[in-house]
Amino acid sequence: MRIPRILCAVAATAVLASCSAAPVSDNAPTSEVPGYLAVADEAVTSGGTLDLQMTVDNGAPTGLDPQLADVATSWQLMSLVYETLVTVGPDFSIEPALAESWDNPSPTEYVFNLREGVTFSNGRAMTADDVVGSFERLLAGQGVWKTQIGPVEKVSKVDDRTVSVTLSSPYQPFLASLANVPAAVLPMQEIEDGSVDITKEMLGTGPFVVKSHRQDVSWQFTRRDGYWAEGKPSADTVNITIAGQEQARMAALQNGSADLVMLGNVDAPELLNGVRGTAVGTQATTDFYYLMLNSNAPGGKFDDPRVRQAINIAMDRDAIADSALGGLGKPTGVTPAGLPGSCDPALLPSARADLDRARQLLKEAGAENLTFELAAYSTAPAPAVAQVIQQNLQRIGITVNIEQLDEGSWSGKVYGEVPATFDAALSWFAGYADAAMVGKWWNPEQAGFNLGFMEPNAELNTAIDKAIATPAGPERDTALQQLCDAVDTDAQMIPLVTRPALIGYRSDALSPTLYATEGYGNVFRGIADFRLLTK
Amino acid sequence: MTWWRESDWLTRSGLVCLAVLVLVTVVGTVFGIGGDPGAMVGPRLAPPGGEYLLGTDQLGRSMLPRLFEGIGTTLLLSTLAVLVTAVLATLLGIAAGYYGGWLGEVVMRLVEVLYSFPTIVLAILVAAVAGPGQAATMCSIILITIPLMTRVVRASAVTVAERDYVTSAVISGAGWPRILMRHLVPNLSGTIAVQGTYALSVGILVEGGLSFLGFGVQPPQSSLGALIQQGSTYLLTAPWLVIVPGIVLIVAILAINVFGDGLRDGLEPREARSLV
Repeated sequence: MRIPRILCAVAATAVLASCSAAPVSDNAPTSEVPGYLAVADEAVTSGGTLDLQMTVDNGAPTGLDPQLADVATSWQLMSLVYETLVTVGPDFSIEPALAESWDNPSPTEYVFNLREGVTFSNGRAMTADDVVGSFERLLAGQGVWKTQIGPVEKVSKVDDRTVSVTLSSPYQPFLASLANVPAAVLPMQEIEDGSVDITKEMLGTGPFVVKSHRQDVSWQFTRRDGYWAEGKPSADTVNITIAGQEQARMAALQNGSADLVMLGNVDAPELLNGVRGTAVGTQATTDFYYLMLNSNAPGGKFDDPRVRQAINIAMDRDAIADSALGGLGKPTGVTPAGLPGSCDPALLPSARADLDRARQLLKEAGAENLTFELAAYSTAPAPAVAQVIQQNLQRIGITVNIEQLDEGSWSGKVYGEVPATFDAALSWFAGYADAAMVGKWWNPEQAGFNLGFMEPNAELNTAIDKAIATPAGPERDTALQQLCDAVDTDAQMIPLVTRPALIGYRSDALSPTLYATEGYGNVFRGIADFRLLTK
Repeated sequence: MTWWRESDWLTRSGLVCLAVLVLVTVVGTVFGIGGDPGAMVGPRLAPPGGEYLLGTDQLGRSMLPRLFEGIGTTLLLSTLAVLVTAVLATLLGIAAGYYGGWLGEVVMRLVEVLYSFPTIVLAILVAAVAGPGQAATMCSIILITIPLMTRVVRASAVTVAERDYVTSAVISGAGWPRILMRHLVPNLSGTIAVQGTYALSVGILVEGGLSFLGFGVQPPQSSLGALIQQGSTYLLTAPWLVIVPGIVLIVAILAINVFGDGLRDGLEPREARSLV
């Protein structure tokens, strides 16, 4: 009689599960301050331990040198220790940070007035020499971010608190490029005398110092004395646990063992709805997913631009945004949707063509029954995006086999070989705070990381250079549209949809400061302000 | 029909359940009932209803055709893997039980090494080496079920090898192929069949476990394990995603086990009733 009992138990479980799916209240955070999802309550007493969870720990693969950090998860962690001359506000405006002000006497000259009272965590005062040395080290190094800071010709110390930067040509995103961790001010004196190895330890001007680190397990940061911003940081200690599994992070949030977690599942707001004491904020970002088509792929699958263009035409960006991202993403061209001056994705050449045109291009290229492998990493929602892409391409007779890999294996497969041997891959870029910045990654000779799978395109490079050099105004809008069109036609890296960032936190334990929009994938941007309600 | 009349209701139920499961899956797949399992046809996470009998998943795909595909994938992968296991385990078991000596020692030590690995650890190891997918799933099932079946086949082969008819065949100068095919394999067939059913249920569990961990079949292909894995996140908000494939998985394993138990009782009636 065991079987009937077991079946009864299964049925009872099903009924219970169905009953528990009762409608629940909205748990999205609300803020009356424009541009913010949440603003920390300054009336709450400082102190306590902040427990966070994030998906991966990029400390080992890329080291701890901020100038070599090339992924947003590294920038998040390093932003607790390192700071930049300028930062971005909630509306993507450039705001003071280590530079309290700056002048722009000509389109190619910037003069930064450094903040007084800034020290590194070893107690030494930050000087203009540190700023100049950091620039020079970045320009001479191998980090990809040197491409982003533009045509810097000369960096010179004017006096102890003033630094002048001269560009060889106008470069519109210059300030926005300085607002990211790889452009942080480093302790150059200690680096040069060898007393600190910043590839292995972190020494910055930021609000926290590293107390301990166990690779792929956890980080512990403690507040530092002498931080320049009075009364900050609020928390005494920040514990960051690396939890790769989405369910584990959700469970930690539900049981209160984490105060704030990064979430990948676009249904997280509904899944956590009604869980007492939790809130889920959906941050609109300028980050976007893109599809890489390897021009060096075995068998020459994508060396014919007509094949790539056909694939681009078949991309239903609305379907990706709706089905894979639950309506939280937006179709985009290479200029991230949401940034001033970004182009309209509906006007792109691929958006104006139909599926018959895509089939015709495939026929002309002799690639009617194309089959290829699409490498996607397993962190949500990337697998869902890959599956929608697969469905999109099925409409024009292309068969896509998805290869789902963990992030380490995926990274090795895509970036580990030159020439690269994968067929296609899915990833996302941070979109930053200027519409032309991310476009620089479409020049492989400057970006470097995509030389293995992308062929330089002179016409596209011209469009990139024009977009970054043109000052804001109608002329720049035109230049940005031309950049979008050139990327769309080149179709070696195809922009798809913006990537939402979901942040779950204990509303009964934490009062965070969270921007409503973010350009550098850094949800910890306001961490110095976070207030703990119960600790 | 004699076996059917002599078997108990539990065994018959098991067989009927299995037959219904296979029939429904074949009919559903061949006639495309519910549409294309990969097509995003409806709203996301729609509950079961008239238009989508089993609801839709997080990408708006109808769960009915995905369930058909999932059952088919799981049963097909497991069955193919167990067939390979049956052939290999029979050869290895006979080599160890009939020929014995150093060959038997080597075979049994290798089998014990495989047996010492926890099931899911071995499966993950295979998936890590071969890469996730159907091939890795099949290899895992084979490597996990071979030790179980080889040990039992060997034990039976030792017994059969001592029977008079085998000794007579040897004395009369029969070659090893004849002894193998005329005397050993026919007398071991009952044991192999019973162990095969047990291995099949283990195979389904391994497939489910591997797919649940993301090392099994790759999206968008579904299997019972993959469906449960994808649905587990939505257990409270969209329980239909996990409950239906979960019930099917339980029913399939139960049916195979009780059928195997009855088969064993029919073929080896003197042994006590046991699932193993």
